Amino acid sequence: MSGEIILEGKGLWKRYGSLDVLKGVDISVRKGETKVIIGPSGSGKSTLLRILGLLEPPTKGEIYFRGENVYAGNLNLNRIRAKIGFVFQEPSLFRHLTALGNVKLGLKHVLKMKDEEAEKKAMEMLRLVHLEEWADHYPAQLSGGQQQRVGIARALAMDPDIILFDEPTASLDIELTWEVIEVMEELARKGITMLVVTHEIPFAKEVADEICFMEEGLIKECAPPEIMLRNPKTPRARSFLKRLLGAYGGI
Amino acid sequence: MLGFGYLSYWTRFIVEGFIVTLEMTALGLSGGFIIGSLLALGDVYGGKLTRILINTYVEFFRGSPLIIQLLLFYYGIPALTNYRWSAFTAGALALMLNSGAYQKGYLKGAIEAVPKDQLLAAKSLGLSFRQTLAYIVLPQAYRIVIPAWTNEFVSLGKSTAALLIIGVRELTSVGQTISSLTFRPFDTYLAIAVIYFVWIYLSLKLTEYVYDRLKIPGLGESI
Ligand SMILES: Nc1ncnc2c1ncn2[C@@H]1O[C@H](COP(=O)(O)OP(=O)(O)OP(=O)(O)O)[C@@H](O)[C@H]1O
Ligand SMILES: [Mg+2]
Repeated sequence: MSGEIILEGKGLWKRYGSLDVLKGVDISVRKGETKVIIGPSGSGKSTLLRILGLLEPPTKGEIYFRGENVYAGNLNLNRIRAKIGFVFQEPSLFRHLTALGNVKLGLKHVLKMKDEEAEKKAMEMLRLVHLEEWADHYPAQLSGGQQQRVGIARALAMDPDIILFDEPTASLDIELTWEVIEVMEELARKGITMLVVTHEIPFAKEVADEICFMEEGLIKECAPPEIMLRNPKTPRARSFLKRLLGAYGGI
Repeated sequence: MLGFGYLSYWTRFIVEGFIVTLEMTALGLSGGFIIGSLLALGDVYGGKLTRILINTYVEFFRGSPLIIQLLLFYYGIPALTNYRWSAFTAGALALMLNSGAYQKGYLKGAIEAVPKDQLLAAKSLGLSFRQTLAYIVLPQAYRIVIPAWTNEFVSLGKSTAALLIIGVRELTSVGQTISSLTFRPFDTYLAIAVIYFVWIYLSLKLTEYVYDRLKIPGLGESI
């Protein structure tokens, strides 16, 4: 990958109380790239994503968005956040708004679009995630998979330069997982820049440019899927993948 | 013998008193709503000092009798400051501050009932904190709070009777006057009680209807 670097973390460190959750993570994602992060529970994957999404500041280290150090000087963080999409593990839709209302909100109040314009764009996004017929439904009337797809449409609508996904299918059963993964694969093929924490190996195999293995607050190894899934360098990645791939019938 | 015919002579006074009761309830509720909203936001999102001040205020108004608060506002404050105000003004102010203290508690619970992950989602869209309050938190909190708020209406509506202590001409004090002029305390106070009852009953039906209209699937049904 040789495109412009969209999002980069340098020496990211995060400490909660006396617990060091990130211990100097370096990571970068280039335009058009799909990067996947895997790693055991508690290794700091969600924390890393929240920090890269500017949802909380790192204890130490820098974040560059399109070459700009976001915490240096006084940049408008909200404007940058709007350009970094985020899809959470738990569907985090606004419960008082319909699917359409959820997608429209950022368009109207952050991008300041007119109502009709926002509505048109939001419908377009719902179509992309195959939910145009569900536009008038409230979150409580949607399945978990549908809610996640609305969440994806909501992020996508902002025309972000990158979308971060934090295990978007971890709380879904297999069938629903599929419909979400399918949408994500379509996005990856369209060239949307994505950083995805997931243990859906078929997804990683299909569309990832690179898989990174994270453990104990550090990224231990990054490699293209054909290498990472067959022959990772570090022994810890090897044993983690062996267990993970056991579930998919071996490497 | 029980009979209400004599009351027709007093209709105008009763209606006027009832209107004052309505006005006082509306002022107390709406003023209390604004005060309660601000206090609730301060208590949820404010710093330590803000929270201490807010809770001291709330404890004072919830922990002392409304009648004392009315006396304090109508007689106490003018005595201290030499600034006189009408019984109506003093009463309305005391009711607003009193109701605000109660409404703060309900609204705080409702604000905290809005799931935190939505705040993070709003942040990730680039919404400012103010926008998040205006478009995400408060619209949900205000729906969640309706049942508790209905209780506050019932309670405050009846509490306005205490205004008689500072001489506001509301429904109960009108009843008292009629009773003492006609020597018919039982019929008079019974009639007054029925007016309160019908008013509150109809208002509850109306709020129920509004609540149903505003109801959103999966939002605030369990509360
Ligand atoms: N806000 C917080 N305050 C304190 N500790 C936290 C906080 N967020 C995360 N942690 C701790 O940081 C560690 C890493 O958490 P994190 O959620 O980033 O891991 P993860 O790799 O995403 O795990 P999982 O696969 O289970 O989602 C955990 O020990 C967690 O308890
Ligand atoms: Mg996680």
